[in-house]
Amino acid sequence: MSRRKRGAAPGTDRFADTPLDGSLLEVDEVKTQFKTPRGLVHAVDGVSFNLERGKTIGIVGESGCGKSVLSRSIMGLLPRNAVRQGSVTFEGREIGKATGNAMRRYWGTQMAMVFQDPMTSLNPVMRVGNQIMESLRFHFDVTKDYAEETALALLTSVGIPEAERRLREYPHQLSGGMRQRVMIAIALACGPKLLFADEPTTALDVTVQAQILDLLQQQQRERFMAMVLVTHDLGVVAGRTDDIAVMYAGRVVERAPTRSLFENTRHPYTEALLKSIPKLGQPSHSKLDAIAGRPPDLVSPPPGCKFAARCPYAQAKCITDEPKLVDAEIPGHAFRCFFPVGSQAGVEALARNLAAGETATGLPVRMEGEAVLTGITV
Amino acid sequence: MAGTGTAHLRAPGDVLLRVEDLVVEFPAGRSGLKVHAVSNISLDVKEGETLGLVGESGCGKSTTGKAIMQLPPPKSGQVLFEGRDMAKLSGEEQRRTRTAMKMIFQDPISSLNPRRKVEDIIAEGLRIWKVGSAPEQQTKIDDMMLAVGLDPVLQRGRRPHQFSGGQCQRISIARAVITEPKLIICDEPVSALDVSVQAQILNLLEEMKTRYGLTLIFIAHDLAVVKNVSDRVVVMYLGKICEVGSPDVIYQQPAHPYTRVLLDAIPVPDPSVRPEARAKVIGEIPSPVAPPSGCRFRTRCPKAQARCADEEPKIQEIQPGQFVACHFPLAAGETLPTRNGSSPLA
Ligand SMILES: Nc1ncnc2c1ncn2[C@@H]1O[C@H](COP(=O)(O)OP(=O)(O)OP(=O)(O)O)[C@@H](O)[C@H]1O
Ligand SMILES: Nc1ncnc2c1ncn2[C@@H]1O[C@H](COP(=O)(O)OP(=O)(O)O)[C@@H](O)[C@H]1O
Ligand code: SF4
Ligand code: SF4
Ligand SMILES: [Mg+2]
Ligand SMILES: [Mg+2]
Repeated sequence: MSRRKRGAAPGTDRFADTPLDGSLLEVDEVKTQFKTPRGLVHAVDGVSFNLERGKTIGIVGESGCGKSVLSRSIMGLLPRNAVRQGSVTFEGREIGKATGNAMRRYWGTQMAMVFQDPMTSLNPVMRVGNQIMESLRFHFDVTKDYAEETALALLTSVGIPEAERRLREYPHQLSGGMRQRVMIAIALACGPKLLFADEPTTALDVTVQAQILDLLQQQQRERFMAMVLVTHDLGVVAGRTDDIAVMYAGRVVERAPTRSLFENTRHPYTEALLKSIPKLGQPSHSKLDAIAGRPPDLVSPPPGCKFAARCPYAQAKCITDEPKLVDAEIPGHAFRCFFPVGSQAGVEALARNLAAGETATGLPVRMEGEAVLTGITV
Repeated sequence: MAGTGTAHLRAPGDVLLRVEDLVVEFPAGRSGLKVHAVSNISLDVKEGETLGLVGESGCGKSTTGKAIMQLPPPKSGQVLFEGRDMAKLSGEEQRRTRTAMKMIFQDPISSLNPRRKVEDIIAEGLRIWKVGSAPEQQTKIDDMMLAVGLDPVLQRGRRPHQFSGGQCQRISIARAVITEPKLIICDEPVSALDVSVQAQILNLLEEMKTRYGLTLIFIAHDLAVVKNVSDRVVVMYLGKICEVGSPDVIYQQPAHPYTRVLLDAIPVPDPSVRPEARAKVIGEIPSPVAPPSGCRFRTRCPKAQARCADEEPKIQEIQPGQFVACHFPLAAGETLPTRNGSSPLA
């Protein structure tokens, strides 16, 4: 077996001098804006959360709610037209002000990312093996033989059969699921302590999705790696995370330990996301509780609660005042709503709107069977 | 051969569409070999029914849909629409059936011509077939836009890139429905959408189906989505049929091991369901260039036996209305090994 020249062995003895528990990542009031010809896009607007070593947090919300920009803001992977504020602490060190060059040390060895579309993040004209080895050699200055052996071991560990042959193939020769496995192998190559998986399975079909999510979970546990799992589907994170943050219009609207989020849902947006998923247990042709409309334009988000225009509970107060993130009874559970789901105020607000046939924002709302339907056509 | 047979077909007089022994093959590059995309598929759809076609990527769902539309015509097999053989239609009959069958595609944005205005995209069918006068056409376009939840006054002059994925899918639906077809083949119309928008489009399809008396073939890889809209479900694997039945029966008592796997792959929004405790298959779908002998699912099936390699299972009725192509169908309540159980024949 060939020897590496210097540097820590990828992903093995890195725990020697670091504690095994405690806080790994602290995100405090992160704000990210983009300067565009249309004006400032308020993509992330004051997001805070903590992540402990070896834990998994799910970030959930519809397309355009700021999930990807949040991940990129933490990793310092933002384009030039972005302005970032707030603080990001990794292992007690402030990295929120670090520039691309300073962050390069962190990418790969400390934190890594798996993207939604593996085809656009893999280099199409470079063999799969070389793409894995490139990152290893950049960070560890290991010999070519050592890098090749490690690449082979990695591909095998992410469940790629005939790994030796696959090393020499190009991305277009692989299926979508295989490509995502390669992306995961690249992300894991340098033994990161934190993995961002940004909609890693959205482009895949359900059977492959289940395989890839299992693989991520298995690797995360074996390596005692923390993970941020980003998705638009609450079903994807339900059985696979410790905590969940639900994002809407660049803000966290509800944050809770996973079980509590599902059992004691407080925010109407979380409830709406949950209800829009077709359930196998429901008879076929059940009407789905769709959320009418789409998230607001982040160049000029409305005053008041950002969800008001689509919320079946909305009252006059929601149009003018923005609710703050307040703690629920369960430790670690917080939400941003004046008329929370399941509360007396919430029940009354919904009943008032149903009786009036519309909410304070003029959104039509009615019951059809069990379903609360909003909007005009469906 | 794996998953062939016609036991599940209903009387020809009762159905709007009947497809028998459909075979579609493509050349596999310059190798001289063939891609066996669809191999002896039979199915039928009653008027007013929604037939769900489900299976993982590459199993031949889109190819089946396109072959029904004769785009391109299948290598062999019959497609009977209202009792008439699609391959043998005269010019005028062809014209009529072409307006009676429409297709909606998966990728909502790229399936619409980016240079054309939304109203022209929706009106295309009316103009090609010269249906009504210009003002009549305009009224129809506006009504259709309203019906799918678009604002004709504000939005008729816009182009596809100014719309979200969900809105583009609404435009596709309007374009398909406006010529008053009898059958619409929806090829993964919601797979590219967020769950919230997916629910809007599923509700809209159901509503349009009732309002315009449509018959639908609904293609998807997510059995929960298919179950929500369908009256009858066909589960496909590698160009063959595995199981046919009503969605509620298939959900409660799946008889084919692959159906069980598809059910267990659906992410459920319930933290008490542990994903690691659900049935899984190993590996990937084999190449359709050299599909496995016998039952095509055998290389990934945890129940596979020697017989499965030698003999293709035939579709048979195992209880009224439920049909399965498997030598060893699941008994009621039978589960599969959970931890990536590998096939003895793999
Ligand atoms: N024009 C073509 N030339 C060669 N092979 C093709 C062609 N069209 C489809 N195939 C192959 O036929 C098989 C079935 O493809 P099809 O697109 O019908 O699958 P599908 O079930 O619709 O999958 P998906 O979920 O990915 O849309 C696949 O192996 C595919 O690669
Ligand atoms: N480079 C950029 N320039 C301008 N706006 C951007 C840029 N990247 C993202 N945005 C905007 O930021 C918002 C949040 O985007 P994103 O984080 O990608 O959403 P999500 O990942 O939740 O779908 C969107 O309004 C998006 O259009
Ligand atoms: S009830 Fe009011 S504050 Fe709560 S989510 Fe709805 S609009 Fe926002
Ligand atoms: S038991 Fe045999 S016939 Fe049935 S699905 Fe498995 S491999 Fe096919
Ligand atoms: Mg994103
Ligand atoms: Mg397809």
